[in-house]
Amino acid sequence: MKALTRRRFVQGAAGAAGVLTVTGGLRYLDDAAPASAGEIRGTETLFRTGHSNNCDGACGHQVHVVDGRIRLVQGAQWDQTTIAGDAAPQYNPRACLRGIAQIQNTYSPDRLKYPYQRVGERGSGRWRRLSWDEATSIVAENLQRVQQRYGRKSVWIAPYTGSLAVLEGVVGAGFRLASVIGASAGDFEGDNEGDSSTPAGWNYVLADPDLTAGGIFDGHEMTDFLNAKAIVLWANNVAETSIPDWRIIADARKAGTPVVSIDPRFTPTSAKADLWLPIRPGTDTALIDGVINYLLLHKAYDAAYVKQYTVAPFLVDPQTKLFLRRGKSYLVIDAADGQLKPVEQAKDPDLYGEHNGAQSALTLLAQAMAPYTPEKVAAMCDLEPSQVLQLAELWAKRNPLAVRAGFALSHWGRGDLTMQALVTLQSLAGNIGTHGGGITTFAGGLTTTAFDLGNWWAPKGTEMFTVLEPMDACGAMLDGKPYPVRAAWFMVDNFAQQMSDRNRVVRALKSLDFLVVSDYVMSATADLADIVLPACTYLEKTDLLSSNNYYLQYMPKVIDPLWESKSDLDAITLVAGKMGYGKYFDKSPDEYLQEILHIGDPKADPNVRGLKWEQVTGGAPHLNTPTVPYVAFANKQFPTKSGRIEFYVERLIEYDQQLPGYKVQLEAYRENPLAQKYPLTFLSTHTRFRTHSQYVNLPWLKEINNNGEGFLEINPVDARRRGIADGDVVRVFNDRGQMKVRARLTEGIKPGVVNCYQGGWDTIRVKHYIEGHPNNLTHQIANPTQSVIPNFRSNAAYYDCLVEVQREGA
Amino acid sequence: MATEQKREPHWAMVIDQERCVGCWTCAVGCKEINNEPLGVWWNRILTASPNEITGEAAAPSPAAPASDNIDVPHGVFPALEMDYIPVACQHCNDAPCLRVCPVGATFRRDDGTVLIDYERCIGCRYCIAACPYGVRVFGWGQEKRDPDFTVGYGRDYRTDGGRLVFTPDRPTGVVEKCTWCVERVDEGQQPFCVDVCPTGARVFGDAGDSGSEVAGLIEQGGATRLLPELGTEPRVFYLPAKPERSLS
Repeated sequence: MKALTRRRFVQGAAGAAGVLTVTGGLRYLDDAAPASAGEIRGTETLFRTGHSNNCDGACGHQVHVVDGRIRLVQGAQWDQTTIAGDAAPQYNPRACLRGIAQIQNTYSPDRLKYPYQRVGERGSGRWRRLSWDEATSIVAENLQRVQQRYGRKSVWIAPYTGSLAVLEGVVGAGFRLASVIGASAGDFEGDNEGDSSTPAGWNYVLADPDLTAGGIFDGHEMTDFLNAKAIVLWANNVAETSIPDWRIIADARKAGTPVVSIDPRFTPTSAKADLWLPIRPGTDTALIDGVINYLLLHKAYDAAYVKQYTVAPFLVDPQTKLFLRRGKSYLVIDAADGQLKPVEQAKDPDLYGEHNGAQSALTLLAQAMAPYTPEKVAAMCDLEPSQVLQLAELWAKRNPLAVRAGFALSHWGRGDLTMQALVTLQSLAGNIGTHGGGITTFAGGLTTTAFDLGNWWAPKGTEMFTVLEPMDACGAMLDGKPYPVRAAWFMVDNFAQQMSDRNRVVRALKSLDFLVVSDYVMSATADLADIVLPACTYLEKTDLLSSNNYYLQYMPKVIDPLWESKSDLDAITLVAGKMGYGKYFDKSPDEYLQEILHIGDPKADPNVRGLKWEQVTGGAPHLNTPTVPYVAFANKQFPTKSGRIEFYVERLIEYDQQLPGYKVQLEAYRENPLAQKYPLTFLSTHTRFRTHSQYVNLPWLKEINNNGEGFLEINPVDARRRGIADGDVVRVFNDRGQMKVRARLTEGIKPGVVNCYQGGWDTIRVKHYIEGHPNNLTHQIANPTQSVIPNFRSNAAYYDCLVEVQREGA
Repeated sequence: MATEQKREPHWAMVIDQERCVGCWTCAVGCKEINNEPLGVWWNRILTASPNEITGEAAAPSPAAPASDNIDVPHGVFPALEMDYIPVACQHCNDAPCLRVCPVGATFRRDDGTVLIDYERCIGCRYCIAACPYGVRVFGWGQEKRDPDFTVGYGRDYRTDGGRLVFTPDRPTGVVEKCTWCVERVDEGQQPFCVDVCPTGARVFGDAGDSGSEVAGLIEQGGATRLLPELGTEPRVFYLPAKPERSLS
């Protein structure tokens, strides 16, 4: 190709100017009227807040307000110290295009402005405007009526992850309401519909659910990646989906740290990586097993670490498959004298000890991993053996090595096994609880332990709500199993579009006696509601963000609620009052936050001990983490039965998964007979232009992103075989449903794999796909193994999905 | 501005393509700070392949025309390349737009910033035709904005003897473009695109100050400019991404 020509730039300019017609026909209900347009003059006020909209960025925003209107959003500074006054990490101001475009989101013509009641058939799109008093009376009466008729649990509260803040969203007031009225609710961890399988696998090995109240999940603070000697981005498109984090990866690269991207798509992350492994999706466990096998064969693991911190030397009874125990002690062979003895008495526990047919856990692991030679792994993963070796050698030579594992790995039926294997690998390499090592999918899990969420969710005199997982919700609605759910309240949760097996979800929601939806736009879920309540965006209410990093970000009310929108907490307070539970909702957001943060409590969790309210409202302090930057298990104390990393998992013997040998996925694997009919693996990934179904319809972002219209990425090889040309309308289908969308031919996706960005709207008024949504194709097949970790016991395996694609009209 | 004691700065911008991940945050930030209408982008990000600037790039994908789309890599699976070229006004030393302007509306300040005097522009659009980088936009008077009130800097800014170089609602029939956020830079701040770049890919500063970061990056070699053969001498420099990638 020739050098850049002038034409290249001028063509681009024409393209940019050609998208002026983006806003027609998408206005909802009343015209946009955020007061009158006019020159902004007046006093400028600056607010610091946290961007809580359910992306793992948890950016701090500095918001400029002039005369009550937001004028500018940009990245905000972080405190330089912890709560206790120690040095915090150097952390740059951060914001991405979605954060800056928040100004369009808050003032969007798509905002729901008033409460409405359905007047036509459910889903007909015909509404009658109500006052808040009327609307909340109807909600209260119907919740009470359903509870009286079908039992208290038959009301399901779903305060989901449209927000990651404390008072509203993923750990928010909806759970308090559920406890107060005795309803069921999506639980706070597992309710991340497709984000539970890898956390389950992490817990198998690192945290016994009996010792951790059902399961925990945490990682390394992002700045710890600067301590790594190699970084593996496993199914993690950081450069596109966690953009500000890329600055830290780029800093590490500049300092000579190699970066690996493992992804079936050539993403902006892969483009920057030093090694890209275009793996066959769903076979990641096999690749990990191959690396484990290499480390064991070449004795390239950290023997001292393995001996001290893992169950490697523990002997396993060949009959029961349980660890050999004497009393409470685990038995090992002492290499010093060859004797069988409790591990705490052994001078030098033998990693490969044997006694009467009982072999060490490491021996069993080595046997289980032996089949995963580079050649076999390469064939399974559709890679070159040399690529498998490159990755294995990197693991052998570069220490510490940090893994960022995307939630993409969790969108698989056996994401639990993949994470189990990854934790096993990282423990062999001595990289668990080690600066510059670890496996980070999510950081900021201290929220759940450092804060008083228990009393926030179930105030004195009430019992904790009953957990009903999203994966079980449809069964409860359609079949009354495990118990009937007849009414639901969704809060910033677009369940009818974002949950897998959408056709089933819509059937389930339509079957309800009563459905109320709080949201700030008319979502696909709100389309099906009996009552819709207009919610605030994060700039119109008081809250606190402490997720995805280790800072406390107070979220002051930056502007008054627009139109008649209310915070979920205010809406809940009104409904609870009408149901006779007003006494549980009699405090201000600040008062709740002070309780949750243990302000003034001398027995507060050490991470927040000594916190003053002025620190919360005056900046963004770093928690008193045991190490800075925070590293999960830095003290090498593991909440397992043995206190060690249990890469041999007794709890999984009944599932024949005590060791992380590869297993095929639930649907999308080559050998599945269904693949004859539906040969393509269907991914529905994230893009930088949206966070799930948020931001999709903002004009600025649509102009850059194909006018917001979805497309199907397909490799030209697969397209040619089906007579599909770039831009053709195609039908994507399987036995569960179909969608229609235009094809985008790209070499940037592996043959045999297609991808359609999820989250585009398929509502009555706005359609970003020609027909349907990727979740018309996905399924709700559960992996029973996960049930051993109660907090992560089921998972929507969005990517574990087979489809066929046809040119429309062919 | 310039005093006899203080040397006039000579602004330049460096864009590190090794860090740029094509996220468009700079472009969306540009829209916000400058109150750009819908459909108008003073700053765009082209999807390219490494070394496209220097002409040593892989062939585009045979899957035309998809390779014109953003985020579509060049090459054939799995031998792929992809890089990004953010393009806004290049603030050329020898700016063709300035040469063709019949009324002297486009001018260059002593610090190198190329600006448009919105009160002098007559909308002839010779400059749009002359600019080889396609970074100038004409206001037809049909512009819509969302939100429908003024955002960003939000007030007029005059420089060089009262010339109106920024106004949030540009008059109908004038040409507009990147100003390097002259109103911010004059107050000691960075252009907004530099400020908001999430990956630290943009560096702005005084190229005349040999101790500045921007001068160091230009001096270290390897920096290229867009369409150097035209002799426009842009003040925007690009540090190309490493063409070779390996683990060692």
